[in-house]
Amino acid sequence: MKHVRTAIQWIALPAIAITAPCPAWTATYLSVEQAQQAIFPGVQLVKWELQLTPEQRQAVEKSCGIKVRNPKLAAWKASEGAWFLVDEVIGKHEFITYAVGITADGAVKQIEVMDYRENYGSEVRQSQWRSQFVGKRRGDQFKLDGDIKSISGATLSCRHIMEGVKRLLATYELVLRK
Amino acid sequence: MNSCCVSEVRRCRPLLGTFVEVCAWMPASSCNRTEMLNRAVANAFASMERIESLMSVHDPASELSLVNRQAAERPVRVSAETFEVLRRGLDLARESSGAFDFTVAPLLALWGLLPSMLKRRCPGNWQAVRVLRGQRIQFDRPLALDLGGIAKGYAVDRAVEALQAAGVSSGWVNAGGDLRAFGDRPLDVGIRHPRTGQHLPSSLRIENEALATSSPTFSLKRWKGAMVSHLVNPRLGCAMASPIAVTVRAAECWIADALTKAVINSMNVSNASQLERMLDRHQATAQVFSA
Repeated sequence: MKHVRTAIQWIALPAIAITAPCPAWTATYLSVEQAQQAIFPGVQLVKWELQLTPEQRQAVEKSCGIKVRNPKLAAWKASEGAWFLVDEVIGKHEFITYAVGITADGAVKQIEVMDYRENYGSEVRQSQWRSQFVGKRRGDQFKLDGDIKSISGATLSCRHIMEGVKRLLATYELVLRK
Repeated sequence: MNSCCVSEVRRCRPLLGTFVEVCAWMPASSCNRTEMLNRAVANAFASMERIESLMSVHDPASELSLVNRQAAERPVRVSAETFEVLRRGLDLARESSGAFDFTVAPLLALWGLLPSMLKRRCPGNWQAVRVLRGQRIQFDRPLALDLGGIAKGYAVDRAVEALQAAGVSSGWVNAGGDLRAFGDRPLDVGIRHPRTGQHLPSSLRIENEALATSSPTFSLKRWKGAMVSHLVNPRLGCAMASPIAVTVRAAECWIADALTKAVINSMNVSNASQLERMLDRHQATAQVFSA
């Protein structure tokens, strides 16, 4: 005798917006030191105090078309000419802190999200956009609907991380590589 | 559980078009296993990166892009992983009478939801895809495939296998809502209102199983006066634009992922029993949240 169960459950929700305050979904993944270890394991990193001059700021903005909100750069130099950068972008409403490792030849080595503070978590699935940043270089096409795509609740967050990486690659080329 | 004697590593990276979280635990007796957990988590991300590099519809260098460019002219040999995902997707298309169909990319490209290079003049459907011996794929007519409805779940499964192979006792992988938990620690998953996007007070608890959710809410856009989304009904050639969300539970994530589309695209079909039978066959259950 086969046990019959209902495979589909219908749940009607009230059409009005739920008025209870919605807690922001927040996660802390890595401290600066942990992110350094994750991207450059075992490498001695040297902190560099860097503040972009107004001219450099303008050059970066002109080169990548993205506004430089903060002229201060949280940068660590890795021994073989590679860099470790910590940056912040605005997600939907809140800041997302992430780290990027850039190899000596100017490509993205790895990205790690350090702090994710959002009102919109990432539980709702999204169609695929390409977040294959690894190997991206300055001048590669960075455009929504082009080679990287974002659909859904995290659209803004995705776009802003993408723009952040593009801005950091431009900063690397114009300021750090010298 | 006392957290001071549990080794836990939790990471997040932008991947597969979303933020992917990987979490791995070891029990209390194996404290200071962080090194091993870090390696395991790195392997899990690496396995998902591989799947993305093979099956991304947005990457012109991916294997899938090669198939989309050439398979209408000649058989294209693909990796075991891509072949497996295509085979499973075709089986599901057959089983659902086309409610799940990964050949809808030309329509999504027309609406501006996928790169325009995927537009095709007279696209066919899943029945025009041939899987041949020797891991080769051929199209009977010009098609464009988008594995967005199945490959992310498949990538989650691969990541879970990578964690387990590295000896991780329990953990979970969450690729923007396509998620799977394994081991003895359950995971509570929040649900959002399909119209407002706000978190609902209730949550779903999963343990040693997978969960996937599809909702048109966040990709809705206007195209020539009509509302479209990434959820195309392949049999009707139109998009789901109602404020609903479909969540499917199953043992593996690829099937949960793909079944959400099959359910959504069968909602206006009177034959609900075929859908029930299909879910039963895969030992899956669906919840439809409508606003």
